[in-house]
Amino acid sequence: MSEHPFLQLTGVSKYFAGTRALESVDFACERGSIHAVLGENGAGKSTLIKIISGVLKPDTGSISIDGMPVDYASPADANAAGIVCIFQELSLVPDLTVADNISLAQPPRRFGMIDRRAQREIAEHLLARIKCEDVDPNALVRDLSLSRRQMVEIAKALGKRPRLLILDEATSALTRNDVETVYGLLADLRQDNVASLFISHRMNEVERLCDTLSVFRNGRHVETFAKGEKTDGQIVRLMIGREVDAQFPPKPAPTEHPAHLRVNALSWEKRLKGASLTVGRGEIVGLGGLDGQGQKELMLALFGVLRGVEGRVEVGETSGVPGDPAIAKQAPRRIALVPEDRKTEGLMLPMSIADNLLAASYAYVSVGPFISPALESQAVSEAVARLQIKIGDPQDAVATLSGGNQQKVVIAKWLMTDPDVILLNDPTRGIDVGTKQEIYRLMRRLADEGRAILFYSTDYAELIGCCERVAIMYDGAIVAELTGDAVTEEAIVAASLNIHAGAFGVTQ
Amino acid sequence: MTSAFSRLRPDDKPVVISAAFIVLILILGTVYTLATQGTAPLFSPNYLLQQLQTGAFLGIVAAGMMMVILLGHIDLSVPWTLTAAAMMATAVGGDMALPTGIAVGVAVGLINGLGVAYLRIPSMIFTLGVDSVMRGLMVWHTGGFAPQDQATPLMRFLAAEKLLGIPVAIFVWLFVSVVIVTILGRTAFGRSIYATGNREAAAYLSGIRTRWVIVGAFVISGVCAAIAGILLAGYSTKAYQGMGNAFLLPAIAAVVIGGTRILGGRGRYVGTVVGVTLIVLLNSVLSIMQMPEAGRQVIYGTVIVGMLLVYGRDKQLTA
Repeated sequence: MSEHPFLQLTGVSKYFAGTRALESVDFACERGSIHAVLGENGAGKSTLIKIISGVLKPDTGSISIDGMPVDYASPADANAAGIVCIFQELSLVPDLTVADNISLAQPPRRFGMIDRRAQREIAEHLLARIKCEDVDPNALVRDLSLSRRQMVEIAKALGKRPRLLILDEATSALTRNDVETVYGLLADLRQDNVASLFISHRMNEVERLCDTLSVFRNGRHVETFAKGEKTDGQIVRLMIGREVDAQFPPKPAPTEHPAHLRVNALSWEKRLKGASLTVGRGEIVGLGGLDGQGQKELMLALFGVLRGVEGRVEVGETSGVPGDPAIAKQAPRRIALVPEDRKTEGLMLPMSIADNLLAASYAYVSVGPFISPALESQAVSEAVARLQIKIGDPQDAVATLSGGNQQKVVIAKWLMTDPDVILLNDPTRGIDVGTKQEIYRLMRRLADEGRAILFYSTDYAELIGCCERVAIMYDGAIVAELTGDAVTEEAIVAASLNIHAGAFGVTQ
Repeated sequence: MTSAFSRLRPDDKPVVISAAFIVLILILGTVYTLATQGTAPLFSPNYLLQQLQTGAFLGIVAAGMMMVILLGHIDLSVPWTLTAAAMMATAVGGDMALPTGIAVGVAVGLINGLGVAYLRIPSMIFTLGVDSVMRGLMVWHTGGFAPQDQATPLMRFLAAEKLLGIPVAIFVWLFVSVVIVTILGRTAFGRSIYATGNREAAAYLSGIRTRWVIVGAFVISGVCAAIAGILLAGYSTKAYQGMGNAFLLPAIAAVVIGGTRILGGRGRYVGTVVGVTLIVLLNSVLSIMQMPEAGRQVIYGTVIVGMLLVYGRDKQLTA
């Protein structure tokens, strides 16, 4: 054993377009250790992994392995150094066989050609190691279940002979049996002196598996400690911190809101499992939870995008899941959706600001079958004025605007349809603080006008600042509803991890 | 000059470039005729009107093709849609000739649109298949021989007669153009074509019925091909095998030379008109110059590729 930790980061910072993703992070990872990295969404975990695995280059600071400074040009260099990452998004090629995928980067060669027999043997050996003998190395990855694909991904990583194995939510798609196999594998690797970095939102997994825990918050490394040194409550508080960086408009006095949107036992595929929720007129209901617990699907289902949705949806007097967005936006439902990704789902980037603003409301600016230029320009200038969108000429491409102004265009587009129900999918992601505050005030104004607002955010502070009521999603269902003073960061984080707040006795 | 040019909106640049190229073709052709015969027939109204009449058939096909290309799709069924419409129109004859021909266009357009929008089969494959099916049906219908049916007087009038000294076919092209311009600029359907062509997901999430938009565009393309087929049958007094074959590539080329993005979402109709004119004049001037067929093909292809290279220099706003 050398006296250096296997991996050492010193003063590493990373910025994206002016926003800080990591700020002077010092971080070390020892051989023969399973090391958990914890933090809220956006705490910098993904950036950290990408820097360690050579996907991103740090703006400042240095990385050393075995005490020797390194500077990777690409993930392949990091692989060669023994750093192997299993990403949450699968990196398998669906139309190649399992064996092809496992040896994709370094296929065994014979006379310069791929040696298929050797490749097959490698695959069989690695699959046996993770107890996946039932997977045929010649099967196409396309034909495997999600859990099996994830296991192939793990076999592929093992084939690279890791000295540091990074698992980014790599167990999220696995079945219970496979999870146990992976636990066993990680324990074996620890015996072989391999270091593992384990990123998971499941606290019980972390507690069972890891020996060291590191907490990240707002791009900073807060603390590293051994397992058992801190209680769940202390860990949650470390993850939240006390920074509040946005000002919210005052909430109105609590009143009863007649329910306008009623959702009962909504299910879809395996992503929504009986979600139930109501939103009243004049009310902003927050939708919380960790990323990917079905929040996006819930909104898409309400907006008529998903096929085969089961359960009851009522908007006012109208019941039934709308068949498509064109039906959802019309009377009598009048639903609007501000989608998750404004660049691909919210906007037609090369088209003009005016065209984007009008895309949902041609009917409102038409006389008979024809669009009226007078009504059109009037509607556009009203929309621009209403949201104070900073533009030069409405005929400029919407791509020329800043992120915040682009998001305002998406919101303005929907306000032109005068919606009764507004679904907001993380509308403040990646926009500046000033515009964020404008959006908070706008939401409050829209609620005061009697609209029902469902607001999903990955930023807990926003949910606390904006919402009278917050529903937390976990694994496709609403697991908790917090109201009034009970809407606290501790309660939201606890509910998001699906552990009961009382269990670790947080004092407020 | 450079600064004035760079101030143009990106949509207008191809139109200006191809218009300038048209003038260049006419000048080069005139220099040639002056040198060899001492006359300048290219600038005579008669010659130009005659070219526009020839251009009307291509122009109408290209107008429909543009709707489909604006969506990022393509309609390869044009040749036999055109032929089938012409054959059916002449076969039925009488007052029902025109409605029958147009109904063929609507039917083929519906099939194309439904296949692409609902079955999600790539348009390049689906319309190619439909083209082949139409060809088979027409060979079956005619037994593989040249059909003997004559074009009706109305078809003759629309395609070959003159009104106020101007070929009626040009008026038909003008009428189709006005309809297309109105649809694209002044109706929800036209705006939806641009939105859908730019980003179908965003258009769909804006509550645009993107599938209907796709079906509608293919129907317009089918109808335009049918109108061109009816006119062409009127012009040559009868329908004949393979009459649409010469229109597919020039129609696509005209749309693209006119500045419509082949991946959809951007393009102005006036560009397509200019593109059609350019192709027709280029062909005509090359034949006046007695360029052998081989050379004509080479120049024709080079011009299309060259124009696209010039347009491709636009600065990209998005990745």
